[in-house]
Amino acid sequence: MTERTTTAEESPDGGTPVATDSVDAALESLDDDGLAGYNYAYLDEHTKREIRRSMLKAVAIPGHQVPYASRPMPLARGWGTGGIQASLSLLGPEETFKVIDQGADESVNAANIRRLAENTADVTTTVDTTEADLIQSRHRIPEEVLTDDQRLVLQVPITDALRNVDPSDTANRRRHAHRNYGKMWVHLYENVVEYGEIQIASRYPTMVAGRYLMDPSPIPRWDVPKLDDADHLTVLAAGREARLYAVPPHTEVEPLAFEDRAFTVERFPEQACHACGSTDTYLVEISENATGDGEGAFETRYACNDSSFCEKRRENPDLPKDHHLDREGVDWGPATPDSAERGDRR
Amino acid sequence: MGYVAVTAGEELIERAEELFEKQRVDGNDEAIDVEQLDGQLGRLTAQAMGEGGLYAPQLAALAVKQAQGDTVEAAFLLRAYRSTLERFDETVTVDPGEIIASRRVSPAFKDVPGGQILGATKDYTQRLLDFDLIDGASEDPTEAWDVTEEGDPDRLRNVTELLRTEGLLSDPDEPDVDEPTDTTRESVTHPAGRDEVLQELARGETGAVTALGYSALRGYGQVHPTLAEVRVGDLPVRIEHPYTGDEVTVTHTNVTESEAVVPVYEKREDPQFAFGYGLTFGRNERKAIGMTVLDASIQLDSESDPAENAEFVLDTIDGMDSFGFIEHLKLPHYVTFQSILDRIRSIRDREGLSEDARAESDERAPRPTVTEAGDDD
Repeated sequence: MTERTTTAEESPDGGTPVATDSVDAALESLDDDGLAGYNYAYLDEHTKREIRRSMLKAVAIPGHQVPYASRPMPLARGWGTGGIQASLSLLGPEETFKVIDQGADESVNAANIRRLAENTADVTTTVDTTEADLIQSRHRIPEEVLTDDQRLVLQVPITDALRNVDPSDTANRRRHAHRNYGKMWVHLYENVVEYGEIQIASRYPTMVAGRYLMDPSPIPRWDVPKLDDADHLTVLAAGREARLYAVPPHTEVEPLAFEDRAFTVERFPEQACHACGSTDTYLVEISENATGDGEGAFETRYACNDSSFCEKRRENPDLPKDHHLDREGVDWGPATPDSAERGDRR
Repeated sequence: MGYVAVTAGEELIERAEELFEKQRVDGNDEAIDVEQLDGQLGRLTAQAMGEGGLYAPQLAALAVKQAQGDTVEAAFLLRAYRSTLERFDETVTVDPGEIIASRRVSPAFKDVPGGQILGATKDYTQRLLDFDLIDGASEDPTEAWDVTEEGDPDRLRNVTELLRTEGLLSDPDEPDVDEPTDTTRESVTHPAGRDEVLQELARGETGAVTALGYSALRGYGQVHPTLAEVRVGDLPVRIEHPYTGDEVTVTHTNVTESEAVVPVYEKREDPQFAFGYGLTFGRNERKAIGMTVLDASIQLDSESDPAENAEFVLDTIDGMDSFGFIEHLKLPHYVTFQSILDRIRSIRDREGLSEDARAESDERAPRPTVTEAGDDD
């Protein structure tokens, strides 16, 4: 830094000079030693309060995207910075925090987010869904039923379902204001005409409380019905796009579909998790080198995506998804008792 | 546990960090001093400060060192640090005319009040590799110069001021807000005010600002400006003294400023030039000029070309945003990919194109197009 020792005689810019050592002293007072020098839960209290206020607004207007001043975080944007800001604003030292990335607690990115919360917010962490007060997740809703004393924070890459039909935020905000979702309906219709069915995989456009069209984040279609009339609060937070929105408990959430082209979830025909045998969970396929079939041969196996629940199922293959609740037959997405009946309704 | 492509946890992250650190020390006996970085690679630190939105040469040098020369990463470190600092005061608005210019060129006029100051530039050097630099011992080539002290320079009159006096250049609109919005504290919504546009451009990624500015010149836009002037120099930073209320100069910032006139007539009945403005921390003429082109283009407020569409420019210009989202594609995507697989298999089944069905329908003509991947998280 070029040290400027301005004295009264040589002050070309008219100001009253200030001795530089006082500036150095001020700078020195800012010195700190790593995270110990940061505020509790990294963000300063004003910022956290501001984020909580935005969340309250989001809860009051379910599915509506609320702008907030997303701060630069020590993680890259697009890697969960919105989720972590929401989580850090909600967490207190008494709370238990779970982080999952694409269904797994052990993923490096989940570990990285978890250690930021551990280091700065001094929270207990867990991999057990039923023990967590707050769950931050990238693109999955856990297989075990969430309860009314749990909160789910979903990381959001793209905040607007309409982005697929128009890149302009200005135009889309106008559409939301007028509840004008014609362009999305046309898009779905064109899908059906071209492919015979709707080809949207994840980020499935979903109506919230009959008012706002919401991008439920890239959770698989499998997870979307879990948001409908849920007991828990879901906060969806985007860091890069600086928007957050929410699905409060017991809110109607309905994926867009046609009477003759129903909303469908991912199918895993005749497949079960190779490790725990589950047939009622979201599976992902794994390609492995086949043994004995010569070079280049591979075989595909299926495995539970929710690694924490899979672990439990391996101990107890019949464990229901609502095992921790005092009532049975809770509706929690596909292949849970009430979902068949609800599927008929749609 | 189970089948997770990246099963890891903290130990793996720490190992990866250590391997990255190792690259810094590989083959280097001597660590680069941050002072050396700021002095000898000042363009790097300037770029990091500009994109980071924090004027702090020493911290910028540290950030460049830590990022192993990756300017966007360095700017990112500065921004993350900046966001934890309390904003305890605001500076008094500074008049760029007060600049202590070390360089000032006006392409618009051969002679301008205050004169042309070529200053330090490589603009007219021949781009030949200088092999003498391999062994480094640089000498100051200006040591023998005979320089006489001429006292403080006069205030430079802006070239655009001259044009405004003659009524040839339109005046900027009066801002409709008293205090400019701080876009690091309040997220941008569209349509964005000019205060927001200028801030976002000033923090824009140098390469993106250059590329989008160039797109307008290349033909994707109407703006081909004449630069009124480009200046590099130091601007005072003043605050009001908390007790006396006097304005005090606390430090200076090194900036690059550029102003341009654009031969697009603002008003039909009173033809005046439009204008563009660019300012960035440190020495970065390319970015300042690119910003000027973009400011002028955005003021045209059209949607016909990318550079003229404020929403397009602001959505794509930020290095932190684009770098993060581009690189996030490296993260696991197996949940969403499974979902995409489900869709394409279902559609192929329906069309009789799946492996089981194919044997039966060999005569069937293949469809000409394949489905677009419907997902983009």
